Amino acid sequence: MKNGYGYTIVFMLLVSIAFGAVLSLTQVGLSPRIARNALIAERRAILEALAEDTTGGDQAILDRFTSLVRPEVFAGLNAYALTGDDGSIDAYAVPFAGAGLWGTIRGYLAVTPDLSTVVGLTFTEQNETPGLGGRIDEPSFKEQFRGLAIDPTQGLAYGPAGGNQLDAITGATSTSRAVLQILNRLLQETLVTKEAP
Amino acid sequence: MAETVKALIKRNLWQENQVVRQILGICSSLAVTNLMANSLVMGLGLTFVTALSSLTLSVLRNHIPHRVRMIVQTLIIAAYVILVDLIIKAWLPDISKQLGPYVGLIITNCIIMGRAEAFARQNKPVPSLLDGFFAGVGYTLVLLAIALIREALGFGTVFGLPVNVLGIDTWTIMVMPPAAFFIIGVMIWIAANRMDRKKNAAGQPAAQSKEVTRRG
Repeated sequence: MKNGYGYTIVFMLLVSIAFGAVLSLTQVGLSPRIARNALIAERRAILEALAEDTTGGDQAILDRFTSLVRPEVFAGLNAYALTGDDGSIDAYAVPFAGAGLWGTIRGYLAVTPDLSTVVGLTFTEQNETPGLGGRIDEPSFKEQFRGLAIDPTQGLAYGPAGGNQLDAITGATSTSRAVLQILNRLLQETLVTKEAP
Repeated sequence: MAETVKALIKRNLWQENQVVRQILGICSSLAVTNLMANSLVMGLGLTFVTALSSLTLSVLRNHIPHRVRMIVQTLIIAAYVILVDLIIKAWLPDISKQLGPYVGLIITNCIIMGRAEAFARQNKPVPSLLDGFFAGVGYTLVLLAIALIREALGFGTVFGLPVNVLGIDTWTIMVMPPAAFFIIGVMIWIAANRMDRKKNAAGQPAAQSKEVTRRG
C-alpha cells in the first residue's frame, strides 16, 4: 500500500503543493523588501560615484538621491545626472559592465559633462578573488580615480596619469587590466560619441 | 535508540563532527571561511536547514514512500534553503552579496542529506531536530575556527574589527581557498590523532589501516 504507485503520486503531489505554497507566499511577502534593498544598493553606489555623501540610513540615501540626481540619457546610455543648485549638470554617473577575471564586473563611472575629469568610480557587482582582485572595491583603489584628469580619446593607463598616479593592484594583474579595459571601452567607444554640449 | 541529549551533543560537536571527522561539507568550508561574518551566516543558515529538514523528514518518516524518499528529502531541503536565501536577501543584503551562490548550494551540502538518511529517517522528531541542530552547530564551530585564522592573518581583522596587534603584513594566501585546505587538513589530523589516542587508552586497538599509516 505504502509503496503503491497511487500512494506515491498522491504523496508527492501533496508535499510539492504544501512546500510550493509556503515558498510562494514567502517570496511574494518578501519581494518588495528585496527589491528595495537592491534599489538602495544601486542608489548608494551612484551617489558614491558622484562623490556625494553616502552616510546615513536607507531612507536618507533615497531622499538624497531624489533631491540631487535625476535620470538622464548621456551618450546614448541611461545615465544619472548630478544637478547643481542652479539646475546645471555637474556630472554624469554612467553604468558599465564587462568581463573581469572570474565574472562580470558592473558599476558606475562618474565623469564631468565635458569628459575632462573622472568624478568617481564604484562597483555594484564583482566576483573577483577576495583579497586580490576583490580589492578593486576598496577605497584605496577606487579613490585614485577621484578628480583624475582624463583625455577620453587616450583612455586611462596605469602609471603617472594627469598629474596623478594610478596604481594597479599587486597580485591582481588580470583584474586590474580588466577594469581599465572596461573603462577605456566605455570612454573611447561610447562616451566620446556624446553630442557637443 | 536511547541516546541521551548530552551524548547526542558530544557526538555531533566532537566525536562525529561533520567537517573534521565525517569530512562532509568541505566545499563550503573552503569557500566561505575567509571572513568570520560570512562563516557565521553560512553556519546559521545550514544549522537552520539541517534542524528543520531533519524535523520535517522525521515527522513524515512513516509516510514517505520508500522508493522516492531521496526526492522527498531533496525537495524539503531545497524548500528550506530557498527560505533561508530569501530571508538573507531581505534582511542582510550585504552578506547575501558576499555569499553569492553558496547559500543556494546549501542544498547540495552532504551534511543535511547525511543527517536525513542516517538519523532522521529512523528517529523520532525531537531527537532528529536536536541531531540536525547540533550537527549544524558542529559545522559552524569548525567554520568559525578556520575563519578566525584566515581573517586574522589574511585581512588583519576579526568580524571586520582590526586586530593586527603584531603589526605583521597580511598574508594573501590566507584569504584564498588553498589556506582553508591546509587548515582543515591540520584540523582533521589533530582530531584523528586525538581520537586514536583515546581509543588506544580505552584498550581498543585502533583501526589497522591507521596503524600502518602512522608507522609509515
